[in-house]
Amino acid sequence: MKKVITALVALVILALMAWGYVQNAHHSEGHDKGKVEPKEIIFEHLGDAYGWEVPFSHTKRIPLPIIAFAQDGSFHCFMSSKVTDGDTYKSGDADFKISTDEDGGYKGKLVQVLGDGSEYRPWDFSITKNVLGILIAGALVILMTMSLRNWYKREGFKGPKGFKGMLELVVEFVYTDTIKPIMGKEAPKYGPYLLTAFFFILTMNLLGLIVIFPGGANLTGNLAVTMVLALITFFVTNLTGTKHYWKDIFWPDVPIALKCPVPMMPLIEFLGILTKPLALMVRLFANMLGGHMVVIVLIVLIMVFTGMFGVGVGAATSVVSVLLSLFMLVLDTLISFIQAFVFTLLSTIFISMAHIHEESKAITE
Amino acid sequence: MELFKPEFGLVFWMFLAFACLYFILAKWVWPFIIKSMDERAGLIDKGVAYAQEAKSKLDNAKAEADALVADARKQQADILRDAAKMKTEIIEQAKAEAAVEAKKVTDAAQVSIEQSRKESEHQLRQDVGAYALQIAEQVIRRNMSDDKAQRDLVKKLLTEVESNN
Repeated sequence: MKKVITALVALVILALMAWGYVQNAHHSEGHDKGKVEPKEIIFEHLGDAYGWEVPFSHTKRIPLPIIAFAQDGSFHCFMSSKVTDGDTYKSGDADFKISTDEDGGYKGKLVQVLGDGSEYRPWDFSITKNVLGILIAGALVILMTMSLRNWYKREGFKGPKGFKGMLELVVEFVYTDTIKPIMGKEAPKYGPYLLTAFFFILTMNLLGLIVIFPGGANLTGNLAVTMVLALITFFVTNLTGTKHYWKDIFWPDVPIALKCPVPMMPLIEFLGILTKPLALMVRLFANMLGGHMVVIVLIVLIMVFTGMFGVGVGAATSVVSVLLSLFMLVLDTLISFIQAFVFTLLSTIFISMAHIHEESKAITE
Repeated sequence: MELFKPEFGLVFWMFLAFACLYFILAKWVWPFIIKSMDERAGLIDKGVAYAQEAKSKLDNAKAEADALVADARKQQADILRDAAKMKTEIIEQAKAEAAVEAKKVTDAAQVSIEQSRKESEHQLRQDVGAYALQIAEQVIRRNMSDDKAQRDLVKKLLTEVESNN
């Protein structure tokens, strides 16, 4: 039975791929044949979009709602299918389109076309591919954790099995084995934030590795997403910091010469406050982006080589590329977990470091 | 390079999504899961402690049972020894009593023998006396055919009686 299902799934996927290939072949007839733009392909896949690709079709998009405030402050909401293929959509008295202007700085973004033909970037609150991805990830996290919670509610002390057992293992690993030893008494207070961050990041990372809807959005490889996460840790760290934490920054225990006439150490310490979230933000972003990029580059290589040397070389490359990208995806699965864990671990350390007290410091000395 | 330029809309939605997620999870999910896991860990610890205690108790129980058995053995030996002692004592006592009794019986027999002897002696004396009298009568009858002899005899007898007294 299992073999039959596997065979059927494989057949369906193959059929879809063949169909997609035929579609693409039709589509690309108009373009320069064999001309591949690797940079465009890569950034198109890594970037945000106003629609979500339908699996195995390069042209079809799942339309998503566009929400924007025009220059005059008026509110506009319409589906992204109205502005695809360079169409201009008139919503009320404002014209919207997706910019194709290379020099305008808004390429690929929603712009309002003003009366004089110039482009204005409105306040854009659209549910883009990434936003929907974030919402899906959030919903998944709620579903997963709720299922674990309901298990405990229903079964009491019985150990969960299967997926819930794995979830429990991860929660145990992150909370009991990591947050608790670092935070000590404060673990129950900050545990929920750190666990939420961990599961949210992990889910987004893993969703990013699934190629087709509802995955495929490069969420944690987007600076906006990691910036928000790092900023939250930054604010939690600094807004709950103790008096001693601030004293250590502006009047650290170093020789007076290092801090009195020229506040060198305080300056360095203060920069440390800013570099910590910056490091968090860039680390997660770069790791996830890098993983995605390597996989895409390996796949694009097939097309590049096919374009350059013909089908034979392309076919040979595809074998190597698929194997290598498979390896990269497996590695990325590991990186997804590690980066989510590292973000949580560092957040835990930063927050607990901001909660240092005079007496606890005396013990460590 | 759109990737390096955080889009305001995305930041807004990300923040909103994370805030909602945090609110929901921190209110209803994590505290409950953490509490349940802690409680279960506590229960398991307690269970382990209980099992260890039970095991040590079991070991103790074995030792206790062994001690009880040894005690019982000792008591048994004591009792057996006591019984043996008592047996010899009883036998000794019985022997002593029997000896006493036997002595009594012997004494009584001796007394009765003495008595019988005395009685038979008495009887013998009487019989002998009677015989002697008869003989003497005979003798006298034969000898007292003349008066002289009678007088002599009487004289002699009287002398005898006098010397006896």
